[in-house]
Amino acid sequence: MGEDRALMIEVINLHKYFKDHHVLKGLNQKVYKSEVVAMIGPSGAGKSTFLRCLNRLEEPSLGKILIEGTDITATRTDINKVRTEIGMVFQSFNLFPHLTALQNIKLAPINVRRMSEKDAEERGRQLLKKVGLQEKANAYPDQLSGGQQQRVAIARALAMQPHMIFFDEPTSALDPEMIREVLDVMDNLAKEGMTMLVVSHEIGFIREAATRILVLADGCIIEEGTPNEVLKHPQHSRTQDFLSKIV
Amino acid sequence: MANIKQTPIRESFAKRYRARFGHLPWFKRYECLIPLSIIILLIGFLLLPPLGKPTPLQWLWIGVFLILLILWVVGILTDIEKPRWIRAIAAISFVFVLGFFFYRYSGAQWDKLTTNFFNLSVMEGLWGDLGQGLLMTLKVALVSMCISLVLGLVIAILRSLNNPILNVFLIIYIDFFRAIPLIVLVVFVFYALPFLGIELDPYISAVVAVSLSYAAYVAEVIRAGIESIYRGQVEASRALGLSSMQTMRLVILPQAVRVVIPPTTGLMVGLLKDTALTTIIGLPELLYKGIQNTIWQSNPTPLVAAAVLYIIVLLPLTRFSGYLETRSKKWVKTAR
Amino acid sequence: MMPEMVPSPPTGGNKTRPSWRERFGHVPWFRRYEFLGGLFLLLLALAFFLPPFGRPQSTLVWIEIAVYFLAVLFWVGIILSDIEKPNWMKAIAAVLIVLVFGWLFYQYSGARWDKLAHAFFNWEILSATGSYGSTTSAWIELLAGLWLTLQLAFFSIIFGTVLGLILAVLRNLHDPVLNFFLTIWVDFFRAIPIIVLMMLIYYAFPYLGITLSGVVSGVLTLTLNSSAYISEIFRAGIESIHYGQVEASRALGLTTMQTMRLVILPQAIRVVMPPLASNYVAMLKDTAICSVIAILELLKTAITLQSWLANPTPLVAATALYLLILIPMARFSSVLENRMKARGVSRALASKKG
Ligand SMILES: Nc1ncnc2c1ncn2[C@@H]1O[C@H](COP(=O)(O)OP(=O)(O)O)[C@@H](O)[C@H]1O
Ligand SMILES: [Mg+2]
Repeated sequence: MGEDRALMIEVINLHKYFKDHHVLKGLNQKVYKSEVVAMIGPSGAGKSTFLRCLNRLEEPSLGKILIEGTDITATRTDINKVRTEIGMVFQSFNLFPHLTALQNIKLAPINVRRMSEKDAEERGRQLLKKVGLQEKANAYPDQLSGGQQQRVAIARALAMQPHMIFFDEPTSALDPEMIREVLDVMDNLAKEGMTMLVVSHEIGFIREAATRILVLADGCIIEEGTPNEVLKHPQHSRTQDFLSKIV
Repeated sequence: MANIKQTPIRESFAKRYRARFGHLPWFKRYECLIPLSIIILLIGFLLLPPLGKPTPLQWLWIGVFLILLILWVVGILTDIEKPRWIRAIAAISFVFVLGFFFYRYSGAQWDKLTTNFFNLSVMEGLWGDLGQGLLMTLKVALVSMCISLVLGLVIAILRSLNNPILNVFLIIYIDFFRAIPLIVLVVFVFYALPFLGIELDPYISAVVAVSLSYAAYVAEVIRAGIESIYRGQVEASRALGLSSMQTMRLVILPQAVRVVIPPTTGLMVGLLKDTALTTIIGLPELLYKGIQNTIWQSNPTPLVAAAVLYIIVLLPLTRFSGYLETRSKKWVKTAR
Repeated sequence: MMPEMVPSPPTGGNKTRPSWRERFGHVPWFRRYEFLGGLFLLLLALAFFLPPFGRPQSTLVWIEIAVYFLAVLFWVGIILSDIEKPNWMKAIAAVLIVLVFGWLFYQYSGARWDKLAHAFFNWEILSATGSYGSTTSAWIELLAGLWLTLQLAFFSIIFGTVLGLILAVLRNLHDPVLNFFLTIWVDFFRAIPIIVLMMLIYYAFPYLGITLSGVVSGVLTLTLNSSAYISEIFRAGIESIHYGQVEASRALGLTTMQTMRLVILPQAIRVVMPPLASNYVAMLKDTAICSVIAILELLKTAITLQSWLANPTPLVAATALYLLILIPMARFSSVLENRMKARGVSRALASKKG
């Protein structure tokens, strides 16, 4: 599917070791523009490690990763430049506690993109509005609820106008009533055509928004397909097992 | 690691090298570190002066040497990918060089070390005297500990009554005794009070000064412990039908004690350390004995011995209180 | 309770007492007014049997006085710890305990109060003469001592902070070999009393050929001592920053330097400031120890003047000067600490919400 669209991510034979622990065992994957790829799998399967290799928060041990055609494992590549094209949203939000919501959002555009203070401010307020938090611009992270913090984190990632966004379990640190508000924001992003890689176990969200599901176990992609295929008719026994546990 | 070697086999060495180390900043690369090691060694062997007081130019070379060495060490130690043996060599040589420089250029006459600093023949017959000093130190410390703990507890309890009038006086007490340097207080009690007709011998003066001062610290620590108990705890116990005494006994105190014990232990170790200050009023405790004997013998070995005794007693205690404190921090973290 | 009582007392209404028992019957015996009133009268009566003015000679009399004070304390404690007692009564109790303490101290401390003004607050003696051979007044000498105290503190703080920072950075390399030596350094200087170290450097080192002046010895001692404490403070500050902060900055494309400047340092400084401030206050206090190595700082000046003038007023003045400087500083540092704690708590609650 989607062969006519631009190739955003290409992963070729990606291996990752932590000391002697073989965590990723030769992954191959292509992600095209505007795809929403959901990754599921048991804890410790290597989902986070995979995502973090893609913007080199972890150094890949072996293999090639092309982001929009640039080989990020090559030495001459300026990884910071690539990272500006990739937004990342963490499970634990990781907002900067010494900065207000708006300052959190403005920080990277001003210091990395060299955007003017005024433009960054304007853009920041737009984004806060987009995630429904325009009145919280001057609140510090510890004055916000978890759901609000995560929405600010998404706005912070969007402020760099990234070409793709990675979400690593963005809702698993949240209370149930706050999950919805975050998923709504993500849903809207998907509808706008953002390329997204999402590690999440929110089956409802995956069924609605995802275009494709990857199932990881023990560092391998054991199954892959549309939500319909994978969720309704899982082929691999481990997938069946896993799905029966989380649904 | 093994897998990296599997990358395309027929590449030039330069290319393989770049793929392996190219991402490192310049000061962490081998092409910088290896020449740097050679330069450092050359300076070390050719330009550094021998034992004794260096001239200004030689000081300059020592400075250059040290700066290069630090660059070298930082380049190696900030890179976790460097093999362990290289890191170990870097760390050891760094510490060794610092020690060696102190040995060479501090101007100390090391040949006098055994005759003047660790002269056991001087100590003959003095160990008993120092031992008595140590006993006096421990006696003052123990008595002051008891008094300051009780007094501090009373003050803390009175403060927890939250009576505004009483609080004024208690805060004055606490602020006064925490702000005044203990040695000033010791001197004041021993040298100034007699002018008022209050004459106390050195022992009593020491106990009074140390106890009054530490009671203020203890009071603050205990109060903070009581206040740190989350209000939800009281509400929860009340909801369970516990009376206020039961709440205090079963819920608040057990938690408060756990919170309070580590910092209080730290305070008590500090108290033991601070008894050395009472030397200034001639109390025959350990430091005083060390100084006296140093003067009589014209040899500082007794003073060094006293210092060693202090370390022997205090080091385990400091470690222990530090251990309690880190452990309690962990506990507080998991409790949240 | 009240509304139930009013409608119908079961056995008719000809008694006047029940309302008292109804009101206070649930109170345990030691909180009842009968008991407290009785105890008060007893204590009042006993006050007339206390020994006369002057320092008691026998231990028995000391015990008698102590027991009397504890009994008053007990009485006051009961009143103050009872929520139901009226406020005016609590105020009286609080004033009473302070008065009793002051009175007992006045009576039995053995102080010659008539000498107080002449001995302790003899300001003429301060402005009239200085110590032996000096042409200025004692006041000026004390102020010069204070100036030296402040200088000692200033340089020790600067050097101690720099050294502590270097040690903390080395510690942050997490190298086992370096850590071994750093631990020894920190443990040693935290375990040895400052006064012992100072005497070692000033009196013992010359026997090795290392002769340092008093001021240098003092600053060196305080620097070494504080470097151990300060390095631990910095280390805790650096470690307190969650690793996620670095990752988030990297993911946004900030460089290492930008991450340090914009994210790590601003947070670390906040964590480090309160303990650092209280450490600086402690260092200012510790400069008084320099008086044992003949540095004419505030305390030593005061001691010298006191023995020259045969009057403790210089010591009183020195104490006052210390308090004048240190109380505001200590207050300031505890304000910092409380603010920090408050932030910590609200953050903990927020993350609990999340
Ligand atoms: N920094 C690390 N050092 C060592 N092992 C790690 C590290 N990060 C992750 N791992 C290991 O890699 C495996 C995969 O982890 P992760 O990618 O976080 O799994 P997932 O996100 O699917 O739950 C786990 O077994 C974990 O223990
Ligand atoms: Mg994970």
